[in-house]
Amino acid sequence: MYHFDWEVFWKYLWPPSALDDPLIRTGVIVTIVVSIVAQLLGVIFGLFAALGKMSKFVPFRLIADAYIWYFRGTPLLVQMMLLFFGLGVTHIYDFPDIVFEGFKISGAVQAGTLALAINEGAYMAEIVRAGIEAIDPGQMEASKSLGMTFGLAMQRIILPQAAKVIIPPLGNEFNNMMKTTSLMVVISAAELFYAFEQINARIFKPFELFIAASLYYLAMTTVWSIIQARIEASLGERKGIEKAPGMLERVFGMGPRTSRGEPITGGH
Amino acid sequence: MASVPGSENGSNVIVKAEKVNKYFGSLHVLKDVSLTVRKNETVIVIGPSGSGKSTFLRCINHLEKINSGHIHVNGHLIGYLERNGKLVEDGERNIARQRAEIGIVFQRFNLFPHLTALENIIEAPVHVRKISIDAATADGERLLSRVGLSEKRDKYPSQLSGGQQQRVAIARALAMKPSLMLFDEPTSALDPEMIGEVLDVMKELAQEMTMIVVSHEMGFARAAANRVVFMDSGTIIEDTTPEQLFANPREERTKQFLSRILH
Repeated sequence: MYHFDWEVFWKYLWPPSALDDPLIRTGVIVTIVVSIVAQLLGVIFGLFAALGKMSKFVPFRLIADAYIWYFRGTPLLVQMMLLFFGLGVTHIYDFPDIVFEGFKISGAVQAGTLALAINEGAYMAEIVRAGIEAIDPGQMEASKSLGMTFGLAMQRIILPQAAKVIIPPLGNEFNNMMKTTSLMVVISAAELFYAFEQINARIFKPFELFIAASLYYLAMTTVWSIIQARIEASLGERKGIEKAPGMLERVFGMGPRTSRGEPITGGH
Repeated sequence: MASVPGSENGSNVIVKAEKVNKYFGSLHVLKDVSLTVRKNETVIVIGPSGSGKSTFLRCINHLEKINSGHIHVNGHLIGYLERNGKLVEDGERNIARQRAEIGIVFQRFNLFPHLTALENIIEAPVHVRKISIDAATADGERLLSRVGLSEKRDKYPSQLSGGQQQRVAIARALAMKPSLMLFDEPTSALDPEMIGEVLDVMKELAQEMTMIVVSHEMGFARAAANRVVFMDSGTIIEDTTPEQLFANPREERTKQFLSRILH
């Protein structure tokens, strides 16, 4: 029978000892920071793709369609390898390490973040577009009739309202993003899963180490679920989303619902 | 027609529409529509649904494009540049600048639901006209008291009745100090008991503003309009004073329409 090594398990699970290990400490920081940065960039890419898709100007529509088609239609893993190794070997871009405020950001982390962001943008595009299209066209007409340009009307009137529709699925996207960062292990970016892989290569305790790794991700997604529920509760007060689901319901997987009782879900 | 050609009386003419044509696909919704509105006039446009009256109104601030003809407001060609006798749509910024001078009130209010009554009113003065928030707020409060809603300044549209929302919408349009106000069936979406409060505001406004009102409120037409225009199937059938139109309509189609709406 397999002898479960509790000592190793606790050493790498329990934060005071686990975070003492520089690999895990860096891994936690990289995973959280990369998730946030990639999600923010993803929202920006998604916003541009959504506006492109809704544009009256045909080339913009074609570019947006091609972007969404390609990045939703191919595996993220392949996109990541292509971006990092493909651009590297052709010397289109070598992803040199960058030193920022005393922190070294490796080329792999940069490439991984960018791949996650570009891929996420393709999914966010549909979410943003659905959010914008949920707003009564009368809002744009009223804005224009007051002398606003399209851009100003978007910024001041349409997007603030669309945000309330976009935020619940955006929260689910971020939950996915934190887990998906683990794919960066294939380009040896020093994120959390890479840390556990490295430790496993040294001591070979895959069962103990990967359970510990999974619990780190679980902790992060759970904390996020709680934050997300708070955000949605404060949004729901004024509009649309009828009632934020309770904490337990949320953590154990029942998503928020629209006023018609349909679940609000992300794109994946 | 009661209208005077604009050129001789240029400074006095606010709206001059000439031979405006518009198609929705193959449907010819406006057929050579011409209309002149002078300063401080209040013109009511009536007509059966599908007659093109709302579409015509929306062409005046270029919410709808036109296929041919010209619409001038304050002497400026609206929405287009003329190049070698052809109309070319103007740039977005110029169109926005023209629209800022023309207020419009919609049937369904279209207030901004994420902003309070006061914020709705000061939004465009602050972000389009770049007036300071303090000045815009002082102005907005004056407008709210003018439409009788001072105590609602911090309420959101969802907390207001339909009549109150429409009065805020009128104040919002007035905040841009437009030289022309358009009303697109402003009372059609209201419960009957709220129509009066909106019409009262409009009657007062009609004393000092140039207004074009698409409406079937005949009481309002009698009390406040200088002219009533009857439209049917995309053309102006009659353009006369309210007294003349109600007492003695010239055209058969006008008679039929009036007998239907006045039961």
